[in-house]
Amino acid sequence: MSEYILELQGITKIFPGVKALDNVHFQLKRGEVHALMGENGAGKSTFIKVITGVHKPEFGKMFLEGKEVKFKTPKDAQESGIAAVYQHPTSYPHLSVAENIFKGHEPMKGPMIDWKKMNRDADALLQQLNADFKSVAEMGTLSVAQQQMVEIAKALSTNARIIILDEPTASLTKRESEELYKIVDKLKESGVSVIFISHRFEDMYRLASRVTVFRDSQYIGTYNVDEITNNDLIKAMVGREIKDLYPKPEVEIGPELLRVEGLSRTGYFKDISFNVRAGEIVGFTGLVGAGRTEVMESICGITKADAGKVFLEGKELKAKSPQDASKNGIILLPEDRQKQGLIMDWSLGRNVTLPVIGKYAKYGFNNEEAEREVSKELLESVDTKAVSIFDKVNTLSGGNQQKVVVAKALAQDIKVVIMDEPTKGVDVGAKAEIYQIMGELAKQGYAVIMVSSEMPEILGMSDRIIVMCNGKMTGELLCHEASQEGILELAMEKHNGGNNS
Amino acid sequence: MAGKSGRTISNTPDKSLKSRLLCWESMMILLFILVNVLCICISPTYNIRNVFREMPKYLIEMFLLFPMAYILVLGDIDISVGAIVCLSATMASIATNNGVPFLVAAVIAIVVGMLCGLVNGCILTMFTELPPMIVTLATQIIFFGIAEIALGSGGSISLTDTAGYKAISAKIGMVPVVFFVVIVFAVIFTVILSRTTFGRNVYAIGSNRVAAYYSGVPVQRIRLLIFTATGLMAGICALFLTSILYGANTTTGKGFEMDAIAMAVFGGISTSGGKGRLLGGIISGFTIVCLRIGLGQINMHPQLILIILGILLIAAVLVPNISMAFTKKKTA
Repeated sequence: MSEYILELQGITKIFPGVKALDNVHFQLKRGEVHALMGENGAGKSTFIKVITGVHKPEFGKMFLEGKEVKFKTPKDAQESGIAAVYQHPTSYPHLSVAENIFKGHEPMKGPMIDWKKMNRDADALLQQLNADFKSVAEMGTLSVAQQQMVEIAKALSTNARIIILDEPTASLTKRESEELYKIVDKLKESGVSVIFISHRFEDMYRLASRVTVFRDSQYIGTYNVDEITNNDLIKAMVGREIKDLYPKPEVEIGPELLRVEGLSRTGYFKDISFNVRAGEIVGFTGLVGAGRTEVMESICGITKADAGKVFLEGKELKAKSPQDASKNGIILLPEDRQKQGLIMDWSLGRNVTLPVIGKYAKYGFNNEEAEREVSKELLESVDTKAVSIFDKVNTLSGGNQQKVVVAKALAQDIKVVIMDEPTKGVDVGAKAEIYQIMGELAKQGYAVIMVSSEMPEILGMSDRIIVMCNGKMTGELLCHEASQEGILELAMEKHNGGNNS
Repeated sequence: MAGKSGRTISNTPDKSLKSRLLCWESMMILLFILVNVLCICISPTYNIRNVFREMPKYLIEMFLLFPMAYILVLGDIDISVGAIVCLSATMASIATNNGVPFLVAAVIAIVVGMLCGLVNGCILTMFTELPPMIVTLATQIIFFGIAEIALGSGGSISLTDTAGYKAISAKIGMVPVVFFVVIVFAVIFTVILSRTTFGRNVYAIGSNRVAAYYSGVPVQRIRLLIFTATGLMAGICALFLTSILYGANTTTGKGFEMDAIAMAVFGGISTSGGKGRLLGGIISGFTIVCLRIGLGQINMHPQLILIILGILLIAAVLVPNISMAFTKKKTA
């Protein structure tokens, strides 16, 4: 038997006009956890699709257990014991967990589904993964983390020997990620080989023994995780050196711009009080569901708070809609770019000027020429990688989409910028650029609030850190007195012994 | 804050002749010409004079097309407009027969229509999670119901005094007055949708309602306004319809909403919202009017005309899908 359970040599995949993969190599050891990293568009997803039989490569060979294989359909790959778990679980939300796990290979009793056996087997698999829900639960009621667990159980139910996890931690909280790490450890122990794609370095350090890096459709190299430094890895991924991932500028902190007093909304958050000053970056962190986004939405008038007051430059502000908030200079960059932040099938320019068309219009008639000027200027100022302002937003990568969201905010008269998960799904090169922009905003005297679950960016960019847990503020730390452990403790306070989701 | 890479982004729009000729509206103009050539070939009586003479009864549905285009671009739908036309026409006729002067009756028709639209708009903007299809289906039944009760056991009403109505069904030269009114509304509605901030916001809502709301677009206020305006236009439509029918009955306005939606979709306005231009809808409206006149002149069965229109409509919604499949094959 060969040392490698899966080996790919010289894989080249050509789409009309683009080489999506160019002579790529990959070796997966038995029982190994192997990280696959690279910027968005580096070819990771295409590569995964070659392994799972979705795409057929033009050149190259693939060996499974030392024997050459050629997958014609995804089913071939499945039958050979390769299963993929995608970032957004592709499940049937109205069916039960057991039905989802055994979809397509239900245990049968004659012509009928053997429900008892199905539920029993499903429960056994879930127990193996330490799941805290039952096989009869409805899929749609589970959290993303739990749904991912179901997907992994589904992979195990097909006796998969190789499991591919595509950005599994992207929509998970810190704690849910910890749970996932444990599951991956278990898989490893039971002899399953795991390939996982992630933008998070902590995932890689925690899980993987080796890491393969792709850049611009090409194979860059495979490294042992304990031998490569952070900077070398970034350099391999980005192709240039990023000296400082968190370029926090020295800024003179000005007067208080925003003050929130005793803001409460029943069932979501309670008694939230804080202030943000000009030039300051305040980080809001906590577990997903702690109520951070909900607080921001209330400040911006998207939802109504039951109690409490918001003051902008000392004057009370009662925003009833995002329109009210933005008129007064409070701009929210929402968490979900594609659903809340941008109109995906509109051009960049149209998106940037949407909140301010009225400002340039004469007697209600749009001044398209002025709009084009302004959007070009703003998009260039945040260094968007695009050819024309008439490009559609959905053709851009996540990082560049986020820059369009920022440009759209800059088009307005801002005082306070609220960035909700600004680097979600953004690769490391673009991340550094977004931090740079965030620093510039502070430098220009805006008050910046950053809501984030990613500890490194909270620690790296914030002047002050506010931690929330179960809808309450559990702590406020100054940048230099904060540590990852300290924050985590506050984020999970009074949480121990509660539910384990 | 200057870009570090100095990368420049182009902002010159594509004004090439090719992109202009290939747009949906150009296709519609071509189709309009083709339909007219066809009508001239099959019907010896198809000439300008006759077309203008027969035009009003088909043309009045265009009053509904204009606001319907806005509603479809919003991603909404309103299938109660036909019923609003019926109710407005009924109320105006009853008023006239009770000795009310024409101008007052006209105001009644428009106000009744506007109130009906306001009801639709209020329900849909206060309970935003309700599907507009079901809500306007319900109000359609209600409006027809009220009209039937008002019409009484006979189910119809005839005007006893047609003086004022004759004025709006008159002609200037050989061109009917209603034609000019339609053109004026066509220009107003098209310019507002394509050139103003309000129009851009309508497209934003239809393309992504949540993102539009987060960007500060007053989503519900705009929806309320458009549903109310739709009712108002239905009232105007009812007024002109009454001037042709000299009365109203329980089937007045039936199916008008579907004709208006068909004209809009045929003109390239997508029912999923955010796409299409009113200009296309207007050209397609005139195309359908001409086709109906031509086919009517050769005594083609009305149902057969409907079948032809139905087939054309399916073809129209298929074209984008087919062309998308082609471009996908080329690039993928």
